[in-house]
Amino acid sequence: MLFAIVLLLTIGCIALVLAREARRVPRPDGLRGRIRDRGRGLLLLPVAMAAAVMAGGAHELIPAELGLAALAIGFAPKLAAKLVPYGVLGLAVFGVHLAKEYNDGFTSGVQYLFVHAVSRGGAELVLAEAGVLFVVGLWLLVRLDSPGAGLVRALAARWLGSGRGGISGTQALLLIPVVGLTMQLLGPGDWFGWQAVDGLDVAVMDLTAVAAALVLIFRSRAWAATLAEAGLLVLGAYGWVIAVFWPAVPGFAYGFSDLHNSPTPAPLWTVALEGSVLLAAGLWLAPRVMRHHLTDLPDPELAARARQLTQRVQTLTQTRHDAVDTAAAELRRIERDLHDGAQARLVALGMSLQAAQRLFPTNPEAALALVAEAKESSSLALTELRDLVRGIYPPVLADRGLADAIRALALDTPLPAELDLDLPREVELPVASAVYFSVAEALANVTKHACARAVRIQLSYSSGMLRAQITDDGTGGADPALGTGLAGVERRLATFDGILAVSSPPGGPTIVVIEVPCALSSPKTSSY
Amino acid sequence: MRVVIAEDLFLLREGLVRLLSAHGFEIVAAVASAPELLKALLDERPDVGIVDVRLPPTHTDDGLRAALQARRQIPGLPVLVLSQYVEQLYARELLADQAGGVGYLLKDRVFNDEAFTAAIRSVAAGGTVLDPEVVQKLMVRHSRTEPVTRLTPREHDVLALMAEGRSNAAIAQRLFITEKAVSKHAAGIFAKLDLALSDDDNRRVLAVLAYLES
Repeated sequence: MLFAIVLLLTIGCIALVLAREARRVPRPDGLRGRIRDRGRGLLLLPVAMAAAVMAGGAHELIPAELGLAALAIGFAPKLAAKLVPYGVLGLAVFGVHLAKEYNDGFTSGVQYLFVHAVSRGGAELVLAEAGVLFVVGLWLLVRLDSPGAGLVRALAARWLGSGRGGISGTQALLLIPVVGLTMQLLGPGDWFGWQAVDGLDVAVMDLTAVAAALVLIFRSRAWAATLAEAGLLVLGAYGWVIAVFWPAVPGFAYGFSDLHNSPTPAPLWTVALEGSVLLAAGLWLAPRVMRHHLTDLPDPELAARARQLTQRVQTLTQTRHDAVDTAAAELRRIERDLHDGAQARLVALGMSLQAAQRLFPTNPEAALALVAEAKESSSLALTELRDLVRGIYPPVLADRGLADAIRALALDTPLPAELDLDLPREVELPVASAVYFSVAEALANVTKHACARAVRIQLSYSSGMLRAQITDDGTGGADPALGTGLAGVERRLATFDGILAVSSPPGGPTIVVIEVPCALSSPKTSSY
Repeated sequence: MRVVIAEDLFLLREGLVRLLSAHGFEIVAAVASAPELLKALLDERPDVGIVDVRLPPTHTDDGLRAALQARRQIPGLPVLVLSQYVEQLYARELLADQAGGVGYLLKDRVFNDEAFTAAIRSVAAGGTVLDPEVVQKLMVRHSRTEPVTRLTPREHDVLALMAEGRSNAAIAQRLFITEKAVSKHAAGIFAKLDLALSDDDNRRVLAVLAYLES
């Protein structure tokens, strides 16, 4: 019953901590912060209770330990929270000790968390639980920022980051001792049903294995290192298994420790030590080998770059599509304007002149009237051509560049315009054209819709960004989603990665901002 | 009257030479680029220079800039600038030195040879001639600004025609009023725009400038 409560408390507290970490709420100061620290400290209760229960039989300890934990939680919540990981790690160490005790013939029943062990049979489960507790303890250590968390973090980062570069020859050569140790552990025992009879057989087998290892090392350094790494980890772990379970596990000799001569061979702590060394070597080699095998997997930086490029390609595809569409529509409009306008006028002009030519001998006055008509036609044709040219490429932009073209635009606007044009050098023509027409559209909107009394046009360039801003004191409420004018401007600017932003609260003022990344060309030289 | 012509298109240049010769102008130079124009204006000191805005070498506004430079060296050198399009910006630059003798017309005004030669003579005499298209834009732009709002509609019309470089007689004919009435309106305009009394031509220029600068 008591244990069930401990269990529930533990699970509840861990769930609480996990949920909070998952949400990653920034730690607030004041009351909430204190409650949070106390919540983490509460984890100390189940730890204390588990420890008390493990102490076995001494039930009078339970209230004392719980009381201490409660005191810590109440008066030093932060300290209590920081103690939790050490409590858990302590329980893990105790678990390893307990497993060894059982192995050595200890028979009392002990409740180790979920396992009630009474004999050697329970040792494995206790050991497994201890392993889990180790992991949880380390995780809590880092998470709760207990003393030593920095060290663990630094070691982990170093371990994970240490695998840069290829596999060296030394690393691959580790396969030789691994093979040697394996042969030694297996001993001259049963080899796939073949009984070794004397030292010569053993030597032949050992030499064969080492030769195979050498071949592998020369053929594939990476795979030799991989095999060595796996061998080091397995052998190291097996060292600990021997240290805890001997003589229940098989083994002939383990490094410097002779096993086969006695049921309690050379002190088992030397085996554990050797196992630890092998494990450490395995852990040292692991990230390097893994890095080597994982180099085909995308580097996170490269992956991010690839995502960016993919997005860029999508944007470019879209804007190119829009640009081609716009250009085609523009050509279509120009063709129609020419066809219905200037071309038609010139045809009419030719016909008038033709008729005048015919009428001259008989009716000179009528002929003169036709010539006057022809003159009118040519004048109209010129006017239409002029308007068309303005729409394609404003002459003043070609003559004077963007700043003067905008100045000319402002002069043609029927509103008083305040100008603040600061362009150190000239903008490339395509960009200048796009910005010119954008400003023209914005000004046309101000004139048509804003009921404004004045307008302010700013043009500036800084760190690769051309920026135009049109501000009016009108009624506001402009929505770029309505109407096609500003949408067309947006498409036009998008070709150059430019953007259009409109701020137009009801009641005004309306601010239109155009930004286009571009380079400036050399200043216009003037010789006159 | 001695005239320098600057036009880079051969057909138009020859057309202008033929037209002006036929009307009794003496063509002292007909050039095709801005440097040649500048040299001709400074060397020949013609009664009037007829200049295309767009000329070699850069084919932008070289003609205009050459004309402005010549006027800086010879203040008041009469210049009539022709262009396929008119810009208030350029009109402003031409008028900026306030020396008069400035014309700015669309090329198609050449079709009407009488009005065109009248404009040339007016500019040569120190007058100011602006294309009706420029004047119209000015009217739109300044219809809401001081001090032009004080003008009556009739005075507006008169001012617009004055800006186009028309004489009082021409204005009277155009508006179907007497020349005396035009003079009266002109006096009203000059008073309302706070223009000092001086010789009539100069006051006309100043009236136009008042428009542009307001």
